[in-house]
Amino acid sequence: MDKKNSFLKRFWLPALLFFIALILPLVVAEFWVHVFNEILILGLFAAAFNLIFGYMGQLSFGQAAYYGIGAYTTGLLMVKLQWPLFACLPVSMITAGIGALILGYFCVKLRGIYFAILTMAFGQLVFFILFQWYSFTGGDNGLQGINPPVWLFKANAYYYFSLAVVTIGMIALYFITESPFGYTLRAIRDNTERTEFIGINVQRYMLINFVISGMFCGLAGALWGPFNRSVAPDLSSWQNSGHPVFMAVMGGPHHFLGPMIGSVIFTFLNAFVTGFTEYWPLVSGVVMIIVVLLMPGGLFGIIKSKGYFSSRDVGDVKNE
Amino acid sequence: MNDDIILKTDHLSKSFFKYQVLTDVNYQLKRGEIAAIIGPNGAGKSTFFNLVTGYHTVSGGHVFFRGQEITNWARHKIARIGLTRAFQVSNIYPKLTTYENVRQSILAQLKKTLNFFTPASKFARNETLELLKITGISGFRNTEAGILSQGDKKKLELALALASKPDLLLLDEPTAGMSSEETHETMQLVKQLNKDIGLTILFTEHDISVIFGYAQKLSVLHQGVLVAEGTPEEVRQNKEAQACYLGEEI
Repeated sequence: MDKKNSFLKRFWLPALLFFIALILPLVVAEFWVHVFNEILILGLFAAAFNLIFGYMGQLSFGQAAYYGIGAYTTGLLMVKLQWPLFACLPVSMITAGIGALILGYFCVKLRGIYFAILTMAFGQLVFFILFQWYSFTGGDNGLQGINPPVWLFKANAYYYFSLAVVTIGMIALYFITESPFGYTLRAIRDNTERTEFIGINVQRYMLINFVISGMFCGLAGALWGPFNRSVAPDLSSWQNSGHPVFMAVMGGPHHFLGPMIGSVIFTFLNAFVTGFTEYWPLVSGVVMIIVVLLMPGGLFGIIKSKGYFSSRDVGDVKNE
Repeated sequence: MNDDIILKTDHLSKSFFKYQVLTDVNYQLKRGEIAAIIGPNGAGKSTFFNLVTGYHTVSGGHVFFRGQEITNWARHKIARIGLTRAFQVSNIYPKLTTYENVRQSILAQLKKTLNFFTPASKFARNETLELLKITGISGFRNTEAGILSQGDKKKLELALALASKPDLLLLDEPTAGMSSEETHETMQLVKQLNKDIGLTILFTEHDISVIFGYAQKLSVLHQGVLVAEGTPEEVRQNKEAQACYLGEEI
């Protein structure tokens, strides 16, 4: 009975969110189905980013590079080689992972602001390659005609496909964060020095995590191309690297679901505000200032301070 | 090298820019001993620990552990071969619970940290609870480590170091910030570990009662130079040691 209660206590919120996500397309207009699809994809992107930010304690400003690599891998394979979407998803994860391995090798040698700057610099490097390599990537025109299979053409069908992939991705990320590897990341975040003195090669674990994060960013990017029917170099730009930072900070980087909730807030704000004004970045900037000043732990931080979700956080206190 | 010697330094030196903080230290520690390095503040005790454990790079000389040269090895490699340490200022995981702190160190020792899909809670429960009990902090197992008292943080750090199952444990002022009762308990534990599992212990300390009560061998550092060595009684009688640290009346 206790085990059952503990399970319910731990998973009622993700179960509720999943249930809501399941019935939403049945009760809202098609425009909103597209918005919810975007929430799912960006939520996975932000959750993958949060492996580095919330769990490992380093701020990456270049995760859009791996999102872009994933998106372009799927785009190129589908447009140029007519590969099926299902085959493109794992390949996109692998290419994004290889990209993260090569670039992350240099990044994990640094910490703090230097880590952030180098990740951003490498992100821009990927952006300019996508932007300039016309013969392969289509340059600033990007790639068009990335059409999903016919049975996924309708908004609802692709939404449910995204929901399935994102759910699997989030479950995998959850398992990783709760595993000994996940706790090693928390240890690195909390005290890198002590972690070395218990016999852990910190740089190696940071690199592995960088690659895992890159792979899931790549998976999110792979979902984006067929959803948008096109990809463009902007997907890898530093502005796009800022989006998961926004989402994680808004939702709460110290809770597993924080980035996904941040994605809901960010994408909804975007969808609403762009209907009223072209100055969407101004509004998002103001929201960010409010969040940082009044809710330093994000939405989950403030809920936690009221006594809810007192356990199962990233830096959690868990009863044993 | 003699098999009995667990730690040996050969002309170990360290300078920071033009400042020489350790000069030609030749030191040997026998397996199974409880030894202390003493000296006034700035004598080079912590620097000696930092060089031996790879925290700082060595400027000159060599470090040997169980006959194997480990000079300038990476910290995690040194920890993995059985040489670990506790710091002067407690060095723990403040956002994890006391239980999770110790379990993390055990997971590292068991080489389970590259497991991605089994919940960490499934590992090392009994070992963790046992170690918490031994170090006297099991009452705080669900407490976030950052809010423990200074004394309990020190005990937790000792637990983290012990979880690595070291052959040689370096303790940098292990009782700093502890009450006299906690000091006694901690040093009794150190003595018990030495007796029960043959753990070799090298510590630095300012508390004279702890030094003379527990160390079987003393080494005196003064301005980075090893000036005296021997049993506590020999050091007590040593004029040079008296002059630079202990005082005439001791």
